[in-house]
Amino acid sequence: MTDTRMTGVAEPTGSGGVAAVGGMPGDAPPESPDQAAAQVAKPFGILGWLRWCWRQLTAMRTALVLLFLLALASVPGSVLPQNGTDPASVQQYISQHPFLGPLLNRLSLFDVFAAPWFAAIYLLLFASLAGCVLPRAFRLAVSARAKPPAAPRHPARLPFGVSYQTALRPAEVMAAATTLLARKKFRLRLGDTTGDGSGDVAGGAAGDVAGGAAGDVAGGAAGDVAGEAPGSAWLAAEKGYLREAGNLLFHIALLALLAAVGLGALFGYKADILLTEGNGFANTVASYDQYHPGRAVAPGDLQPFTLWLDTFRASYVQSGPLRGDPSSFSAFVRYQAEPGGPIQRYNLRVNQPLNVDGAKVYLIGHGYAPVFRVVDGRGHVALQQAVPFLPASTTDFTSEGVIKVPDARPRQLGFVGVFLPTAVSVGGRLESAFPAPLRPAVSLVSYAGNLGLDSGAPQSVYQLDTAAMRRLPIAPRPLLAGQSMKLPNGSGSVTFTGYRQWTSLQVTYDPGRFPALVSAVVAIAGLLLSFLIRRRRLFVRVRPGGEGLTEVEVGGLARSDVAGGFEEEFAALSAALRAAHDAREGEAGESTAPNEPAPALPSATEDEDRT
Amino acid sequence: MSLPLFTIRPATQFWAAVLLPGAVLLALIAGLSGCSRGQNVQNGPGGNDTNYVGGTVGTTVFKAGQRPAAPRVTGPTLTGQRLSLSRYRGDVAVLNFWASWCAPCRSEAPALAQLSRSYQAKGVRFVGINIKDPGRANGEAYERSFGIRYPSLYDPAGQLLLEFRQTVPPSAIPSTLVIDRTGHIAARIIGGVTYSGLRKLLDGLTSQSPTSGETG
Repeated sequence: MTDTRMTGVAEPTGSGGVAAVGGMPGDAPPESPDQAAAQVAKPFGILGWLRWCWRQLTAMRTALVLLFLLALASVPGSVLPQNGTDPASVQQYISQHPFLGPLLNRLSLFDVFAAPWFAAIYLLLFASLAGCVLPRAFRLAVSARAKPPAAPRHPARLPFGVSYQTALRPAEVMAAATTLLARKKFRLRLGDTTGDGSGDVAGGAAGDVAGGAAGDVAGGAAGDVAGEAPGSAWLAAEKGYLREAGNLLFHIALLALLAAVGLGALFGYKADILLTEGNGFANTVASYDQYHPGRAVAPGDLQPFTLWLDTFRASYVQSGPLRGDPSSFSAFVRYQAEPGGPIQRYNLRVNQPLNVDGAKVYLIGHGYAPVFRVVDGRGHVALQQAVPFLPASTTDFTSEGVIKVPDARPRQLGFVGVFLPTAVSVGGRLESAFPAPLRPAVSLVSYAGNLGLDSGAPQSVYQLDTAAMRRLPIAPRPLLAGQSMKLPNGSGSVTFTGYRQWTSLQVTYDPGRFPALVSAVVAIAGLLLSFLIRRRRLFVRVRPGGEGLTEVEVGGLARSDVAGGFEEEFAALSAALRAAHDAREGEAGESTAPNEPAPALPSATEDEDRT
Repeated sequence: MSLPLFTIRPATQFWAAVLLPGAVLLALIAGLSGCSRGQNVQNGPGGNDTNYVGGTVGTTVFKAGQRPAAPRVTGPTLTGQRLSLSRYRGDVAVLNFWASWCAPCRSEAPALAQLSRSYQAKGVRFVGINIKDPGRANGEAYERSFGIRYPSLYDPAGQLLLEFRQTVPPSAIPSTLVIDRTGHIAARIIGGVTYSGLRKLLDGLTSQSPTSGETG
């Protein structure tokens, strides 16, 4: 009997993949391994080679290897200093390793993420993934529209199955089953083996029985071949195609996500700037401290906004064990979307970025910028500005910084300073007791000489190169706001006039962000659909039995890799089916039997109730 | 139990089919963002704390006829007067973007100061645009240090840079634009100018008669 079980089933091979489920005769997927193997056996032409290469590239194995390679290739990026993040360290490394340094440099190991071999890996991975997902999406699309396979010869032998006899004629059994299953939103396919027994007889009439609910009822289906008694018929019903739709959605969303990420990498940019209260910046490359453009971004593409920071407020926990922890940050900014446009206000907070024409401005850090006024030895104001100091400690915001006065005459001046927001004396030493500026003070070490700026070599604004400078003979003493310090040898004076706060802002523009979010949500929704919904099938086969009775076999199948639940559903369905048949039988017993016995089936005795 | 009617791959393979693309994608996102971080980063040559972005240094010369028109730039100067670039129409103008703390600016300043004096008589006007300097005092001290006599627009936020975004964006400090007599940008120098380099450009432009420049 095992051979007959497969007669109506059009599955071409054992592992044709998801697409092969319910495949119609003739639409065997060409990707089946057997056929691939057959192609391999043939002598290779150019086309064959290309096809082989493509198949290798899009194989899951290859994608995994590439993924592993990508991870491996990133390792030098974290072990060796990188030009992208720390070019100074790279130079240092190269000068310290005269042999290895240039060699590594030639292999792009100081620019791992820009290296050609790195690009090769991720481009191959990209191609592999797209090549894997695209055909799969097509197959899923076919699968989501497929009709259920024909019923097996003995559905009752399936994992779930029942059989019983009824006095109804086969056609009536089928009609009742079709109506019930169509109402339950099953996709139906009908087969009939009346007449010559060579299939394709169950025409539109049988298919239309289900009516409106089952619009996709299979019309002419491949019926059983030979050996079935006339009058036997079958019904295959399947439900849960949303699983395939969900899977398809997931794959399409994956591709969309890829495209969105690519879009962002190509047309987006990211930039950082440190902005002190009272200052502003225009969104131009020259304004930024750091700028990371996408490949297709030109300096003229940046949104032409200008932003000013009016005030920044940070509040801290005043007491308790968390004393000194920040409780809120907010930056009050003004911005102008384009030159000449209206000036708008915004309260910039952490995770509440300002959106200007798609560019987002994030508040990512803050600190203090003590304001200094330096008068040089000739009596000119050589510097008057708020100098950003970097916090050395985020608990008390003791900050360190450097003041360079390159235009002081007769000699340039430089100061190394410490800023204490809440200065208190602890055993003769000055410390900061709280991060808020309750009693701001600075302590400065003074230098005079050559800052090295006029040579043109760029230098850090947070470091003082004292190689060509002399420390002035003046003991560092704390200056409170408004206090000055006269410098010895007629070098001038420095006044600590107060403080401002600075914020570090990050401006990002990623046109792929929203599409990526939508794609990710859709992908997850699709994945959930494909996991939560079971494909399950129900088969009904009727045969004219002895004594005018009709044998009914009902069988059910569900995907085995999901949590159970089908057992109950099958029990309920088969019970409902049987109840429907019994009900019809009852009707038939009352109405049809006395008046006109069914002419098509002379042997049927309608009023013989089995129950 | 084997299910002859369901030729769906086993559970593990199904999981792999779903999870692999996801994992690959995550890695790809990490990789792509990583590459955009590494590949195109533009820092100051000395690291990322030099306060400015050092662009690709070099000179771009535009041929007569292909020169973009310079935007009309107007603003307050360091000394508080109003200045409009259109005042220099008919003259060759040199527009220099600078900041007092910027080392390459300080190294090119003597050349600019000297050229501005020696080309005064040939009808070359120099204008500075002081950007990213948080106070007028710093800029004034800079001009005093280098003996710069020409005026500078004071633009701490760098808003004037926006005016140039459609033409020749100066993408770094210092940047210098040379504008011909008709108000078209003849050259852009990103990075510090050299005395001889700028002189050559100015000689080329001043040797043209005012009318021949009209072709641009």
